[in-house]
Amino acid sequence: MREHIKTVLWIFAVLLLWEAAARTMPAVRDVVASPSLILAQYGSSADLYIPHLLGTVRSAAFGFLFGNLVAVVAAILFCRFPSVEVAFRGVNIALFAMPPIVIGPVLAVIFSDNLPQIILAALVVYFPTMAATLVGMRDIDPRLLDVIRTYGGGRNAILRFVRLRSALPAILAGLRTAAPLSVLGAILGEFGSGVRWGLGSFLLGSLGDADPARLLGIGFAATAVASAGYGVFAWIGRRTVGATVAVTIAADRSPDTIAGADRYSLAQRAALLIVAVSLPFVLWWLILRVSQISPIIAPGPMETLRYLAAGPGGAEARTALLAALGQTLPLAGLGLVGGIAAAFVVASLTVLRPAAAKAILPVAMLLQSMPLVALVPLVLLLFDRDTAATVVMAVLVVFFPAYVMLSQGFALVPREARELVRVYGGSRTQELLLVSVPYAASYLFAAAKLVAPRALLGVMVAEWLLSGKGLGNLLNASRGLLDYDMVWAGAVVSILISVAAYEAVSMIETLVR
Amino acid sequence: MGDEQPAAQAHQPADLSIEGVSKTFHARGRSVLALSSITLKIERGSFVALIGPSGCGKSTLLRLVAGLEEPDDGAILVRNETPHSFRARGELGIAFQDPALLPWRTVRRNVGLPLQVLGKKRQADRERIDALIELVGLTGYADALPGQLSGGMRQRVAIARALVTNPSMLLLDEPFGALDQILRRSMNLELRRIWMGSATTALLVTHSIDEAAFLADAVVVMNGGPGRIIDHIAIPFPRPRAPGLFAAPEFHTLCDRLAAALEPGGAR
Repeated sequence: MREHIKTVLWIFAVLLLWEAAARTMPAVRDVVASPSLILAQYGSSADLYIPHLLGTVRSAAFGFLFGNLVAVVAAILFCRFPSVEVAFRGVNIALFAMPPIVIGPVLAVIFSDNLPQIILAALVVYFPTMAATLVGMRDIDPRLLDVIRTYGGGRNAILRFVRLRSALPAILAGLRTAAPLSVLGAILGEFGSGVRWGLGSFLLGSLGDADPARLLGIGFAATAVASAGYGVFAWIGRRTVGATVAVTIAADRSPDTIAGADRYSLAQRAALLIVAVSLPFVLWWLILRVSQISPIIAPGPMETLRYLAAGPGGAEARTALLAALGQTLPLAGLGLVGGIAAAFVVASLTVLRPAAAKAILPVAMLLQSMPLVALVPLVLLLFDRDTAATVVMAVLVVFFPAYVMLSQGFALVPREARELVRVYGGSRTQELLLVSVPYAASYLFAAAKLVAPRALLGVMVAEWLLSGKGLGNLLNASRGLLDYDMVWAGAVVSILISVAAYEAVSMIETLVR
Repeated sequence: MGDEQPAAQAHQPADLSIEGVSKTFHARGRSVLALSSITLKIERGSFVALIGPSGCGKSTLLRLVAGLEEPDDGAILVRNETPHSFRARGELGIAFQDPALLPWRTVRRNVGLPLQVLGKKRQADRERIDALIELVGLTGYADALPGQLSGGMRQRVAIARALVTNPSMLLLDEPFGALDQILRRSMNLELRRIWMGSATTALLVTHSIDEAAFLADAVVVMNGGPGRIIDHIAIPFPRPRAPGLFAAPEFHTLCDRLAAALEPGGAR
């Protein structure tokens, strides 16, 4: 409790300092307004804020409900029938790695009203909740299984009596992660959908005026909604589970930590691999087939492949895509490496100063749950619309989750190992270099896998909203030009790149270990 | 409980028959022979203790009897049935070193769990469950959660759970291993009292020589690398056995003999 009070006091002090700076220095006020100005426009523009806020919250809530329901049911199925999970690995990784911003335009093409936002919010919350539930159901006391099996209980009895209830804390942790993500999904779904009410639409409409108080006001509003969702489920989690669940991000486990395919023969594995890779495309084809959407606005997998390979204007499309990728990928890579490196350095330095770590970690946890579009106003005001803004955006969205994960790595270094260095008269620095850093380095890969898709998403959001370059802009422009083939092709290519980046990090990890 | 039959009758047919059983574990490309052609027969209503050094396969043998592992070779028959069909009838009771209680269930619901798994009506057995809770000395704790109990109390819940199906075969895998010596001894007395009142055949895996000597009719001594039976020692003390037996000189002589049998190469 005292920690909470301390954090609140810190935030209050920062706000006071900000207010003072904005009042005395016009240069500061022109860029980041002042807290009192932001508050004032909340009051004067309440008639705008309230419907926009409600629009986003409504979509996020429906998506949250639907996505999590599917996620929990899917996790139960995967747990009960492990081969189903292997078959769905491709779908799961695609959903984990996809940059949601590329799905928005595709959904807007197919669906109307608020459906694109709701579906995107549901797609975004699916993976963390599914993964958390599955891990929770798998990670159980093996003795409990023996007890059930001794009385002739099979897989169903184990599921019913042990797994479901054991997973409850993990499910709640997943929902806690999913709540702010559903807000992000709803907002990203508003981009390019033409929907009237929603914080994303509000932000898009306000970018042109560049009024600092308004832009930051929208950013704060989005953050507040997301944090409230996080807070509600953190509270429910504490209440139901009794003991406080450690502040872990177990919900963000990457897909391969939950797959267990080693008990299959080579032939079975090969067959499952083929199914896993083809299933996302089969589902894509099937959904379009069932919904009977015109193939002109919603081409299937074969049509999109043909478009990229040999369709009319295929050469042009390839050139445009390659040019956009040439702009996007280096920035995403830069953001990824920069963000992780910064997170590692800060996390290791805070080991030397535990008090500093205690102050930073809650802030990082909070900012981690902040919808990344809420960063757009700040980045725009501070860095305008040039390349630096895009890189800063990528670094910021990478830094916070990576920092939280790496500090956990540092926190898990066995005390005995550290004390060993001290017993021989070693300094804190030696302790850090000899024990903590090598120990936590293994978390680098876990962090990299987790944030690689985020780096791409961060860059694409910045490109769409700010810089007008790269893949993000290509998608936005194609949507405006009604070039549906390109919208789909761009979406598929960016998902494939994201999955490839994830798999590449996994491969490097296996090689190094 | 067991008011149907008197306990520990002699010259009964073999209740548990283990015939030339071997078990190999494979891990990371290496295989370890955990049990090598074990043969053991246990009479109905008798209490047999398995002792031996860590890793000699005692627990594996017990898990084979419970049907939690399958033997590579040989056969196990419990009352002329395979472990799987025997346990499906609810005739098996088991307690582990760890009480393995479901943390979200009260004592009463934990004790009733086997009945639920077996698909029996728990409501009808409510009185039975409460009687068992009383038997293990937990009256008044029926609605407590495992987290509110001490280690010894949790272990007693596990014992009550093992008895709830009125089992004809009771498997105990170091059920008191995690308890301190004093608590362990009082649990030994408790177990002796419970077993005396039932017609159950019991197989106890333990590390404790005096626990084995006090509770069992016969002690089977095992040795590791690979796991095999090296001695079979009858315990001659008449029943009922009083707590004073722990202090008797002949008890200590027997314990010394068991300890000698456990020494490497000390069996014969």
